Amino acid sequence: MQVVYSFGAVGAVMVAAAAGLVIGGSAWIAVVAYAGFAVFLAGFCYRVVQWAAAPVPFRVPTTCGQQTSLPWIKSAALENPSTTSGVLGRMGLEILLFRSLFRNSQAGLHEKRLILSEQKYLWLAALAFHWSMLVILVRHLRLFVEPVPALVVALARIDGFFQLGAPDFYVSDMVLACALAYLLLRRFRDPVVRYISQFSDYFALLALIGIAASGLSMRYVTRVDVVAVKQFALGLAAFHPVRPAALGAMFAVHLTLISVLAAYIPFSKLMHMGGVFLSPTRNLANNNRAKRHVNPWNYPVKTHSYAEWEDDFRAKLKAADIPLEADHATRASAD
Amino acid sequence: MPQELLRIEAKKPGGNWTDPAVQFRKGVFCYSAAAKNVRALDLPNPRDWQPFDADWKLPPDWKRILLEGMKERLEKYRSFRLFMDICVRCGACADKCHFYVGSGDPKNMPVVRAELMRSVYRRYFTLTGRIFGRLAGGRELTEDIVKEWFYYFYQCTECRRCSVFCPYGIDTAEITMIGRELLNLIGCNTNWVLEPAANCFRTGNHLGIQPHGFKDSLEFAADELEEITGIRVDVPINRKGAEILFVMPSADYFAEPHYYTLLGYMMLFHEIGLDFTFSAFASEGGNFGLFSSHELMKRLNAKVYEEAKRLGVKWILGGECGHMWRVLHQYMDTMNGPADFLEEPVSPITGTKFENARSTRMVHICEFTADLIHSGKLRLDASRNDRWRVTYHDSCNPARSMGLLEEPRYIIRNACHRFFEMPENTIREQTFCCGSGAGLGTDENLEMRLRGGFPRANAVKYVQEKHGVNLLACICAIDKATLPTLLEYWAPGVEVGGVHELLGNALVMRGEKPRTTDLRGEPLSAEVTHA
Amino acid sequence: MASSNDLVEQWFAQTLESFPDLSARFLAEEKDRFRNPVGHALHTSMAALLQEVLGNMDAGKIAPALDAIVRIRVVQDFTPGEAVGFVFLLRSIVRGSNPPRPAMIEARIDQLALMAFDQYMRCREQIAEIRANEIRRQTRARPALQRK
Repeated sequence: MQVVYSFGAVGAVMVAAAAGLVIGGSAWIAVVAYAGFAVFLAGFCYRVVQWAAAPVPFRVPTTCGQQTSLPWIKSAALENPSTTSGVLGRMGLEILLFRSLFRNSQAGLHEKRLILSEQKYLWLAALAFHWSMLVILVRHLRLFVEPVPALVVALARIDGFFQLGAPDFYVSDMVLACALAYLLLRRFRDPVVRYISQFSDYFALLALIGIAASGLSMRYVTRVDVVAVKQFALGLAAFHPVRPAALGAMFAVHLTLISVLAAYIPFSKLMHMGGVFLSPTRNLANNNRAKRHVNPWNYPVKTHSYAEWEDDFRAKLKAADIPLEADHATRASAD
Repeated sequence: MPQELLRIEAKKPGGNWTDPAVQFRKGVFCYSAAAKNVRALDLPNPRDWQPFDADWKLPPDWKRILLEGMKERLEKYRSFRLFMDICVRCGACADKCHFYVGSGDPKNMPVVRAELMRSVYRRYFTLTGRIFGRLAGGRELTEDIVKEWFYYFYQCTECRRCSVFCPYGIDTAEITMIGRELLNLIGCNTNWVLEPAANCFRTGNHLGIQPHGFKDSLEFAADELEEITGIRVDVPINRKGAEILFVMPSADYFAEPHYYTLLGYMMLFHEIGLDFTFSAFASEGGNFGLFSSHELMKRLNAKVYEEAKRLGVKWILGGECGHMWRVLHQYMDTMNGPADFLEEPVSPITGTKFENARSTRMVHICEFTADLIHSGKLRLDASRNDRWRVTYHDSCNPARSMGLLEEPRYIIRNACHRFFEMPENTIREQTFCCGSGAGLGTDENLEMRLRGGFPRANAVKYVQEKHGVNLLACICAIDKATLPTLLEYWAPGVEVGGVHELLGNALVMRGEKPRTTDLRGEPLSAEVTHA
Repeated sequence: MASSNDLVEQWFAQTLESFPDLSARFLAEEKDRFRNPVGHALHTSMAALLQEVLGNMDAGKIAPALDAIVRIRVVQDFTPGEAVGFVFLLRSIVRGSNPPRPAMIEARIDQLALMAFDQYMRCREQIAEIRANEIRRQTRARPALQRK
């Protein structure tokens, strides 16, 4: 059911994009893009501030290796960091290489055949998706910046290394498409993942697939007028939207989906892109006993003090010859 | 045909996790906390009730209390708010929970356990959830959900194994802890957590042993040690001016096989001439507050520093215990510190500074002993443990909340000859829980524990078959209480013991008589005795 | 007749139907015996049992295999009938494969079922016993407990 709704929602966005184009032309696209990014920026900041505003009362890292204790025991500097640099390393591994997800993976020999478990592909697909997405985003900078930064040019050149077809075929496009397809298939096929999947999960994937498909078709099939796109994009970036030549329905769909997805990010699990940096089980050093962590809302609690305890058990303590603080009750006995 | 009928009856559809109905079948849940224990701790809504009752006698405004409690905690714990928001449901954690692996119940997948809470969070605390409800993954908070929370949040041992595999470090233990804290607000708690907590609050320890009983226990242990070694060890209690305060889980002096670990500590302290004291007030290092609420944890933990300050010791040494060390390592200093009245711990025997404990000023006995062995201060005769073929179970909290992995192994390798590791995806940070931690270890919950403990026991059975392992060493009082039961069922023939029991067996003491038995009173083999 | 491997797979698959769908898939597909101890135990023990039913009916080999399966199912969410019912699934599977001497095989399956019931009861009794043992250990009569 969740899948159906998600398909419906993504379809509706596409229809709205096309309809908007017919009615409002490229001005409509500009409005959608600005609205989408405004919601994204405001929402994203709001959520991050909301997280950041919540204190971290306790230092609760999950330790995944040997602690730093005695000098002759080798500690796991990255899996169980006790220093800031170690934490940076751990976070780096986590964010750049998805270290924890990799832990899941298990390549094993089963009945003499090498089997990569299902989870290995999850790690691979997740990594492939996120990295190719980053490459594609950076490549897109060439549409928004003039002159195009050398880094972007270089990246595009590496990405188009195979120089197949015309225009050059980008490896990242292929990788992204495959990874997304795998991730979606996995949601459908794996009963465990299907069981836990919700509207939000399908919607995000389907929107991304829509974005990728429309982008790929513009590049390889319908061959959008790149000069016109760039003119439009530069205008958008400079807050001076220009009215370019017709960009086509595919472009409208592409940009609308991006805008809608961007606007959806702050309301969804896609916030993990910001949240991953803040996770207290990962971004704190396991130096708990070496450096005191302060809880800003620490408050006094009702305890049973030694004096009360001694009063409660004075006679028995005396009889057992256990040293006392005072020979007589210091308060009304509760015993 | 009859067999076809049977199959249809047995067929269990996976269903939909959003349906909160749970069945409280005897053997798979913990009984409610007795009113007297709830009262003893001044907690809300003391009453007589049981989870299988239809009416849980919740306070009339239970829903408001829960939602306000949730709001407060969302603002106080970044972990909670973040973990409510960022799960992408990738499924990496699904098969990492020992309860899921052992039971096949889908709601035991960590992601779903958390979704039980998340769905309510979405419905009441997010814009999309308030508008779109179920479509945005929201669930209305109902009494059935309270029951579901109770069932599944007391079916999580807060072992943190899932959080090792989560790409965002989402820790189900954090969610379970908050979940239990919320349930406590409306008086839904279990007796096996609150009775020890209430006892601990009053007398200082879980079983409610009073100071004279505490002393008798330790004296009795000294008597027994004298029989075994011919040496009379001191039992200092509440002694002011000692250099070190020693705090242990109370099970060490009343339960088996913990008791042999206590003998090990006492031998060690005597042999190295440690200037230390026990405390009848801080007679419990364990802290069942951890399984109930942060506040109760702090209330019960306070006595450790209070007693250290009163006695004027320099620093504190802590015995073998899992959840106790979770509290001591990750919470104590923050909650009840700073411990500026203590000194930075230095081993009086070796002069080693325990730099890693320079703020909290409490050292784990395994760190302390490993340093002694490494510095050559102990004479160990490992052959006295030759009847054991040992494997080591990493207890969840020392493994995943401290990283105390090598110290106990170092002691074991020095104290016995035959040590075998279990398979690597079942030890160290990937260790499987005993299935009875976090207040689940009660006998009425035995069947659930046997399910949850199966992955652990299965790995033990593997080394039993492969290497003839007959002793599982561990450094956790809950392990020592519950793993013998578990292994009796799943891997009979494997016993459970503490690391310092092995050390005690191997420790050659000055002036000791020839040992004829080990600490359990079992005869040492002839060749060892005459060696 | 179908190979005994095929029969084991059929038997295993039908037995897993007693679990929720998604768990059945996990139990069937995860091959690591430590990640999936339940699936591993069921599968290897069923293979051993089938071999005995079609072979020598060696009690020494049947007992541990049957024990491994029943022991797990006793503590899971099954009624006693569901817990041992997996044995009966074997009847239609074997019958469908046209074995030689079908009457003897069916009699053996019946025998296996009775053994499974016995084993189920033994496990139940053992649970009661280990529960009592645990309580005894946790209150090992140290003086502390005698002096309240």
